[in-house]
Amino acid sequence: MATSTPQASTTPAVEPVTWRHRHLIDLDVVSWPEIELIMRTTTEMKGVLARPIRKVPALNGRRVTTLFYEASTRTRVSFETAARNLSADVVSIATATSSVTKGESLVDTIRTLEALGAEILVMRHSVSGAPYLAADIFGGHVLNGGDGWHAHPTQALLDLYTIRERLGPDLRGRKVAIVGDILHSRVARSNVWSLTAAGADLWLCGPATLLRGMERWAAAWSSGEIPGHGRFNVTSNVDAAVRDADVVMALRIQRERMQGGLLPSLREYAARFQIDAARVGTAKPEAIVMHPGPMNEGVEIAPDIAAGGRAVILDQVANGVAVRMALLYLLAGAHVEGHTEVVRR
Amino acid sequence: MTGPQVGDTVERFDLEKAWLVDPVSGREGPGEIVVVDGVLESVNWLEGVEATGIDDRGVVVAPGFFDIHAHFREPGFEDAETIATGCAAAGHGGYTSVGLMANTSPALDEPGVLERIEAAARRSGSPVEIFAYGAVSASRAGEQLSAMGELADAGVLGFSDDGSPVKTPRLLRSALIYAGMLGRPIVEHAEDLDLTAGAEAHEGYVASVLGLAGWPTAGEVNAIARDLGVLADALADEPGARLHLTHVSTAAGLDLVRRAKAAGLPVTCDVTPHHLAFTDEWIAGSRRWAWDALRPDGEPRNPWADGALTAGPYDTSLRVNPPLATPADAAACLAALIDGTASAVATDHAPHTVVDKEVEFGRAVNGISGIETALGFMQSLVDAGKLSLSKAIALLTTGPAAVMACWPGAVAAGAARPRGFVEGATADLVVFDRSSRWRVAAAALLSKGKNSPLLDRELPGRVILTIARGRLAYEDPQAGED
Repeated sequence: MATSTPQASTTPAVEPVTWRHRHLIDLDVVSWPEIELIMRTTTEMKGVLARPIRKVPALNGRRVTTLFYEASTRTRVSFETAARNLSADVVSIATATSSVTKGESLVDTIRTLEALGAEILVMRHSVSGAPYLAADIFGGHVLNGGDGWHAHPTQALLDLYTIRERLGPDLRGRKVAIVGDILHSRVARSNVWSLTAAGADLWLCGPATLLRGMERWAAAWSSGEIPGHGRFNVTSNVDAAVRDADVVMALRIQRERMQGGLLPSLREYAARFQIDAARVGTAKPEAIVMHPGPMNEGVEIAPDIAAGGRAVILDQVANGVAVRMALLYLLAGAHVEGHTEVVRR
Repeated sequence: MTGPQVGDTVERFDLEKAWLVDPVSGREGPGEIVVVDGVLESVNWLEGVEATGIDDRGVVVAPGFFDIHAHFREPGFEDAETIATGCAAAGHGGYTSVGLMANTSPALDEPGVLERIEAAARRSGSPVEIFAYGAVSASRAGEQLSAMGELADAGVLGFSDDGSPVKTPRLLRSALIYAGMLGRPIVEHAEDLDLTAGAEAHEGYVASVLGLAGWPTAGEVNAIARDLGVLADALADEPGARLHLTHVSTAAGLDLVRRAKAAGLPVTCDVTPHHLAFTDEWIAGSRRWAWDALRPDGEPRNPWADGALTAGPYDTSLRVNPPLATPADAAACLAALIDGTASAVATDHAPHTVVDKEVEFGRAVNGISGIETALGFMQSLVDAGKLSLSKAIALLTTGPAAVMACWPGAVAAGAARPRGFVEGATADLVVFDRSSRWRVAAAALLSKGKNSPLLDRELPGRVILTIARGRLAYEDPQAGED
């Protein structure tokens, strides 16, 4: 069952890799050597965070703007902390208090922010694909902080970093089970790109109503080679997904799913899919438990597991700052003049 | 240089050594035409030595096209299109007759709105012939019937709440019966609004990867099944009841129509050029034709595996209702045209403003500006060997006329006239250069709607001249200069 990809390697790429992306919107266009570069840069940033004064002047005078169209505490604070650690000037815009509530379009907002001097735009939006529109018109760099159901690349990268910290850099054949509301999850989608690039044995698991369409994705990747990516599994059998797993990641279940008729009840979800001690007991003895947060303890994850020795959930939060520092650093250093990259991007 | 202007009677037009396609007689071949004072004076089929060197790869003459489904947005949305700009765009596309949908503001639910449209068409000076559909329901609200009898008296082709399906099966049944009494069809936009609530793209591989809310195939199939079921009942009360399903887009939906036709139900349907030529993989950034997205064994290619993704994703010009579907669905649309399940190609020309399209994908309005690119799509199908030239022309001319011939009211309105070459009749034709490619640029589109996924790409089949009702509807500004 081991899946492999020739891109995955245990050592840094032989060729020196330079960062060539003007924006980071999803991991579909980021190669494995580039992911390794992000990982190495993240390690350097962790070194900064270990110092008594967690601040370097790398982005001194550079202007980072966070534009969040969705409520978020941890991701926004994580980005802003990362930017300040690099000495960037940070402007924070929450749309509830901005002219967006007066009906200003995304395009006008972006143009206004650019006129006000924004250089790196960290953006979260509830509509899938919105950062591509921003990147089309913005003269600086767009860093996706999560768009709709589509992508959350910094989360997937911090997940990857956290997994490698615990399991080692070579994830080929290591079993990763992501359990929860896959259908609506940008975290799951971005993790598909990074973990299949790493050569992991990836399993996406949830109630069949919350897996809709993902089987077709998995089937398309099983019937042909996707350059740089291995195949993955989709199942509603949580026992099969978690058994012998090296990593078990639970995703948040939202109450809206009950109103939409996708789930009978949270109670029933918890009974059938909760990551609890019994299920974790079927995973590998040294398996780690992850959650992107915010958690519904007692629903998708049992409280004792969330707080237990297997959980690396707080490591994820801490690594998130380092990963975002690394990405801000790489993007700010990316050569932009005459950059003709199509926004695939 | 002041040549004849749009709207002027064509005093004299001689075309030698062209390839003539007459879909009424079924004849095509080398020939010459002469138009004098707006009348098709002569059609000369050439043979033997005279025909030497003339083939179907160059200048082609065909009867003017008939678009039985378009939106010209006037009254109410003149920033997106007007009757005048729509007619200009139609002429550029080779169209000489257009049937306009009723989702204007106010809706075309009483004859006064039709009078405004007809007055605007006259003022435009364009000779493109404008027909219109009346709304099924008052204000298209789905509650009560529009002023159907008065609209029929005023000459509408039929009735449609297009943009939306007829809201309830109960109202649909009444509408089919009442319209049938008036010799008119119900033209149905088949969509199950419950299944498609919130949907952003055809449910499948592409939508899953892009995180777009899926529009299930049943969103169309359920609605067609409803419409056919209601039609069968309505016929018992009114034998004149007629149903036309517009922009059918899925293999399963077309199968239902195929079976209903075989069972003898009076139903017709059309498909759009964009559902023939585009697929959902365009939303991911692919820019290959639908027929190039299928392997020889009929399985879809994988755009993430084979380097097909060359453009940026989430282009809102691709957001359309019904959504672009799979390569297999596009192939089914073509198969339906070939086997007669679908009678016509209709553009569903849906111009929109930048304000409504330069937004997040999921917030963009639906619609493709397509009346100027339809010929290029059909020509691309012909060039790919998927369709003969004469069949492609028929689907733009006699196909739509055959749909109209099913509706006594449309026949009375003059919409069902044969679209062939008749010496001595008023000239109605299009001349295009099959091999000449043109760039689909915003400035090249005469429609106000620049919402074409083909912007800055090239299409074959440049229109040189369109003559409608004996008058000039379009002339290529570059024609005669080289």
